[in-house]
Amino acid sequence: MLRAERFFRLILLAYPREFRREFGPEMAQLFRDCYRAKEKNSGLIGIGRLWLNIFIDLVRAAPKQHLERLGKENSIMNNLRRDVVALLGSLGIIVIAFLLLSYGRKHGVPSILVFGFALDALVTAGIVGNLIVFLLVKTTRLNPLRTALWTFLLVNFVLVLVSALVGSRVDPQFRLGSLLIGYVVSFLFWFGVHWLWSKSRGQLAVSG
Amino acid sequence: MKMKQKVDPESLLPLRPSVFHILLALADGDLHGYGIMQEVAEHTAGQIKLGPGTLYGSIKRLLGDGLIVEADERPDPSLDDERRRYYRLTDFGQKVLKAEAGRISRMVSVAQRKRLIPKTRS
Repeated sequence: MLRAERFFRLILLAYPREFRREFGPEMAQLFRDCYRAKEKNSGLIGIGRLWLNIFIDLVRAAPKQHLERLGKENSIMNNLRRDVVALLGSLGIIVIAFLLLSYGRKHGVPSILVFGFALDALVTAGIVGNLIVFLLVKTTRLNPLRTALWTFLLVNFVLVLVSALVGSRVDPQFRLGSLLIGYVVSFLFWFGVHWLWSKSRGQLAVSG
Repeated sequence: MKMKQKVDPESLLPLRPSVFHILLALADGDLHGYGIMQEVAEHTAGQIKLGPGTLYGSIKRLLGDGLIVEADERPDPSLDDERRRYYRLTDFGQKVLKAEAGRISRMVSVAQRKRLIPKTRS
């Protein structure tokens, strides 16, 4: 019995580690029960049949468990890939907006500077808002789109308030109207990006 | 687990025969792995022999889908090994089992109408 059980435990190595950890001791217990019953009721022939059934079961069940595990890993990898794409995408938008703004200011390009107030808001609110949304979505079970809506509303509101208080003292050309339009554009832009993102996630979930 | 309760039991049908028999075995009360195996062999007159991998693979799936849970109490602790895990049918599992039994019963009725099998006397 001891030798048979040791051999059965070796067979269990064909199953994924996670599955073995969860059910290995129970499977060994099941084997002990079956072995004892066969030994008592049908002798050597019964034990031979038990081993045959165990090998047939192994061939059927072990690949299935490995495939299930692979499927799970694939979905984790897909989520990770999507998160990286989202993060890089947001970062790309922020960098482009920042470069445009810097170029426009350095070379005095009026067509860029017209949108300067919006680009300013896009960069600042983009960095702060996306960071908060990313952290909240990853650490809580909050709805991602709703989190993005409230975060960008709040972040844009706070930034407008701070800019209105500081800007008027620092910049003599400061205009509250432009500032407000800039942050409204920034809010609509970033919330739009998150809305599109959530829509594409939904479509993927349905088709996947 | 609460999320699973909202799933329509019919959406999980048809069940695989091994899964149906495991749920059927648990319909009378909590059982451990070996108990389920014996009950299934008895119900099917030895036609379905669940090996350890198939049995625990199905149990893993049923636990994940919320059709069964691990039972807290043991039916008779004095007679049993403490390390054994007992499994219990959930309310949702019961609904799925009933739905599958109904589906099979409807199929049997059709087969009877077509005189493929004799009608059972009630």
